[in-house]
Order: sequence, then structure tokens, then C-alpha cells
Amino acid sequence: MEHASNVLFRIGPLEVTSAVTTMWAIIAVLTLLSWLATRSLKEVPGPLQSAAEIAIGKLRNYYEELLGKTHARKYFPIFATFFIYIIVCNYSGLLPGAGHLKGFALPTASLSVTAGLAVVAFFTTHVIGVRERGLKHYFLSFAQPLYLCFLMLPLNLIEQFVRPASLALRLFGNMYGEETVTENLYEIFPIGVPLIMNVLSLLFCLLQAMVFTMLLSIYVSEAIEEE
Amino acid sequence: MASGTIALAAALVLAVTAMTTAIAQGFTASKAMDAIARQPEAAGSIRSALVISLALMEALTIYGMLVAFMLIGKI
Repeated sequence: MEHASNVLFRIGPLEVTSAVTTMWAIIAVLTLLSWLATRSLKEVPGPLQSAAEIAIGKLRNYYEELLGKTHARKYFPIFATFFIYIIVCNYSGLLPGAGHLKGFALPTASLSVTAGLAVVAFFTTHVIGVRERGLKHYFLSFAQPLYLCFLMLPLNLIEQFVRPASLALRLFGNMYGEETVTENLYEIFPIGVPLIMNVLSLLFCLLQAMVFTMLLSIYVSEAIEEE
Repeated sequence: MASGTIALAAALVLAVTAMTTAIAQGFTASKAMDAIARQPEAAGSIRSALVISLALMEALTIYGMLVAFMLIGKI
């Protein structure tokens, strides 16, 4: 949750919090890593390039299973970005000092960050839907079947607007809840017990990133499906 | 309102959502295990469907937990 005391400094009217500076650091690290991995591409790759190739290959297989080959290849960059960004954000909360040092906080434990991600996901779904099926065809699909359109249209519209809210709340709630539970465990019994929670967090962080991207790809595949 | 009532409400929210979700997730997981035992070759797709449905149920507990945190913040 955002508190006024979290604000580190201001750029004009924008308040920069610890979550924002952490996200800048994550963006810088990811950019640097991908630059280093693709700087000199070789037939026989070095360690960093092969690690990146394996990671991207696995990710592409995962999306091809969910979306089918053609669409997964076409829209792979945005899905991979979502996955890599969310998982790195989630794991950044496990580093020592997260949430206690100034300028270093788990970004996805702030509702503003996850809401931003969910808004991007919302527009991704609809832009891909319009691009694949055409403007008229896509928006008419919300009123199918036509003789029930007075009933189906409001239902479908409500569903479309609830989806980003539930995406944002799910990611935020899981990450914030996990952080709070670990902190409370630490206050009750500081030796050993928080470690168990941290090991569980390793699993949950991966699971939340997977669930977010899996739901997004399900929404997209629903948007591009032909009747 | 008395802070004791708020504390009780926060505890009840989490207890009830956790209980009901645990029951539902148990049903789901046992059905998925049955399906995997009957058709081991479909394990991959069953597992991904299981993860999605568990996550959707989990979200309800998380909403309950958020409400509980909000209530505790009001004490």
C-alpha cells in the first residue's frame, strides 16, 4: 500500500516511491543482461547466450502450448516481457533488505504497479482482438448471440472490465500478503521459521507470474478465436 | 465501533474464506489426481488446467485477506 512517507523525491507532480526506483533498477538490470547476452551472437554460444537461449526457448514452448504456434510466435515479445518482468519483480522481494532499505521495495506488492500491468494487459487483449478479427467483427462478438444481445452485451462488458481488476488484485494480494506474513512470522520467531516461508515464496513467486501470463494468454486466445 | 468487534470480523473473514477455499481446492486437486491416474498421458494439460482453477479459487481467499488487512488497519 502506498503511504505518504514512502515518497523518496518528486519529479514535477510525480511522486517517486521505493517501488518505482526498484523497477528502474530491474529495467536496467534486464536491459544490461539482454544486451550482454546478444552482444556477439555466435554459432557455438557462450554461457550467457546459451542460458538466454534456453530460457527463451522454454518460454516459447510454454506459450505455443497455450496459444497455438502462429499466434504465439507473432505476439511472443509482449507475453515474454510480461512473464520476465513479473517474475523478476517478484523475486526481487526475496533479496536481503527488500522493504527495509530506502529505495528498495517489492514492486508487485504495490497496487499501483499491478494495476498498471493489468491495464497494459487489458489493452493488449483488445488490440490483438481488433487486429486479428477487425473492429466491427470483434466488437459484435460481445453481443453474440444477437437475439440475446440485450442480456449478453452488459454481461460481457462487465466481464471485460472485471478481468483487469481481478488480475491486479490477485498479483497484489498474493505478493503483499506473502510479504506481510513473512514479516509477522519474523516478529513472532526470528530464527528459522521465516526461512520456510521464504522457500515457499520461491514457489509462489513463480506461480503468480505463471498465472498472470496464463490468464492473459487465455484472454487473448478468447479474443482471437474464430466463431 | 469497538475495536474488539473489528478484530473478530477480520479473523472471521480470513477463517471463513480459507476454510471454504481449502475444501474447494481439495475437491479440485483430488479430481485432477484421479484424472492423471486414469490418463497419465494427459498429465500436462490437466496440470495447467488445475493450476488455473486453483489460482482462480485462491484469488477469493486473497480478497478475503485484503479485507482482513484493511479491517486490522482500522483498529
